[in-house]
Amino acid sequence: MNSPFAISICAILAFGLLGLPIGYSMIAGSILYLLLANLDLGTSAEQILNGLYNSYVLLAVPLFLFSAELMNVSKMTDHLLRFCDMLVGRFRGGLGHINIAQSIIFAGMSGSAIADLAATGRISIDMMTRNGRYPLSYAAAITAASAVIGPIIPPSIPMVLYALVSDASVGYLFLGGVVPGLLMAIAQMGINTLMAHRHNFPVEEPIPVREWPAITATAMPALLMPVILLGGIYSGIMTPTEAAAVAAAYAFLVAVLWYRNISARDTYLAVLNSARSTASIGMLIAGALVFNYVVTIEQIPLTVKGLLAGYDLSASMFLVWVNVILLVLGCLLEGSTIILVILPIFIPTAKALGIDLVHFGVLAVFNIMIGLITPPYGLLLFIISAISGAPLRTIIRDTMPFVWAMIIALAIITFVPESVLWLPRLLGYKG
Amino acid sequence: MTRETTGRMLAGARWLRRRAENFAALLLLAMFLCFILQIVTRYVFNYPLGWTDEASVVCWIWCTLWGAVFVLREKDEVRFDIIYSTASARTRCVLTVITGLAAMVLFGIALPAVIAYVTFLKVERTAYLGVRLDYVYSIYVLFSVGVIVRYAGLTWRALRGQPPDIQIGSGSAL
Repeated sequence: MNSPFAISICAILAFGLLGLPIGYSMIAGSILYLLLANLDLGTSAEQILNGLYNSYVLLAVPLFLFSAELMNVSKMTDHLLRFCDMLVGRFRGGLGHINIAQSIIFAGMSGSAIADLAATGRISIDMMTRNGRYPLSYAAAITAASAVIGPIIPPSIPMVLYALVSDASVGYLFLGGVVPGLLMAIAQMGINTLMAHRHNFPVEEPIPVREWPAITATAMPALLMPVILLGGIYSGIMTPTEAAAVAAAYAFLVAVLWYRNISARDTYLAVLNSARSTASIGMLIAGALVFNYVVTIEQIPLTVKGLLAGYDLSASMFLVWVNVILLVLGCLLEGSTIILVILPIFIPTAKALGIDLVHFGVLAVFNIMIGLITPPYGLLLFIISAISGAPLRTIIRDTMPFVWAMIIALAIITFVPESVLWLPRLLGYKG
Repeated sequence: MTRETTGRMLAGARWLRRRAENFAALLLLAMFLCFILQIVTRYVFNYPLGWTDEASVVCWIWCTLWGAVFVLREKDEVRFDIIYSTASARTRCVLTVITGLAAMVLFGIALPAVIAYVTFLKVERTAYLGVRLDYVYSIYVLFSVGVIVRYAGLTWRALRGQPPDIQIGSGSAL
């Protein structure tokens, strides 16, 4: 590692810590590197433009954002609550289970945890805290924790980002997330059951069986979404990126023809909000593209690989270390930055140790999603605190049991690769 | 400057921002429609189009870079805000001046090379639509200039004691 590189890393860290947006920090730091290393400064533009131009798979990100916006506008998800009540409401801590079940279904429709929270957060919390049935902080905690399932069960925006840096197949990554996502949901339901018995949370009135068909019918447009998406991808009809566009078209048609509750203004705002999020995440990708170019010409991943080879690490020890590092980083950094910038450094080593890149990607995304609800920097904690009005401190306290349960689930998928790879292999993955 | 002129300038700035938002929304919508067209022609009419792929990628690049400078507000940006959000207004101003100057200087130094790179591409054309690549990539020049102007504005305001308004934990797509 020579001095231009060291200086540019310090500059990126300094810019970032002082509050310059992370994408700009990486671009500015990389320009500094090119300057100090006497390279053509136009390379910064070349790497960003060619990188964006050639990353077709990334188009799934704005399209998934758009479909999530449309689903929020159409209130498609509100009808899921009653359906989930029908399934799990009658158990102790029923509303907590409903919250988690709803997140599982929503996870099959959207690729973003924030979208999940925005769609279901307020209504779930209102329902849980009505007549003081559940403490506000617990309602907020379980809503934030269950939103994390969103990007693990396909579709998933972070897995698209991982596919960009690792060249692993988006389709198989999506499939690999199914079992871990369900495992995470089971872990959370376990904690909810435990808490429900300890604090004597209420049970919901069972819904008579004769009402089931009507409730299912009302929820049908939402329930069909995962079927269309995943069916389309795995039958080979659509690429994951095309599926994202179809999801948005479907959400729009359902809102217009079925629920009839979307105005031209709502549609415009949905488009504009998606464009805004696209620019925000796009800047991060642009920064990562030029910074990763610098990292590559400095051969950092190979240096790390050589360094680790000296320690004679086994594959499982390596994964333990990666997990610990990612969990710590997840407390401090925004998740997509970790995927785009930190993971590329580990990928060559993972490959050399014979770790499957789909397994590696799913466990890394799982880990980084836990980071969305770990303090001090837990994006979902901030959002849920703003939505619910509960103090951050109490939400963090009630979220911690869920975090521990999710770390146990993470340990399982780390040491049992089959938990991730079983389903992709069943459908033809040769890894 | 009289209050009336300031008011008129602010109204003008708001009008421009709304037009910038219209354009970003249009780009996203165009990208989406290209995809739908592509899927329909391929699977319904069995007549795959090549240009839709290209057009949607161009819309994505423009939407990202255009949106980044003309649509995103400070609070939409993904940043590490643990230090920034706990700092006093005065410290925030100092931080904004430091990072603003750094961004202006570095993007400014790179600008001539960026322009040279983009204009050099006038000999190349995109595969399907045959659009000159320097036109497609010209958005990056606009982006670079926009970043410099924007950070000049933020630095100027911070020097006069107005730090940018950010929200904790804002801006992400996860």
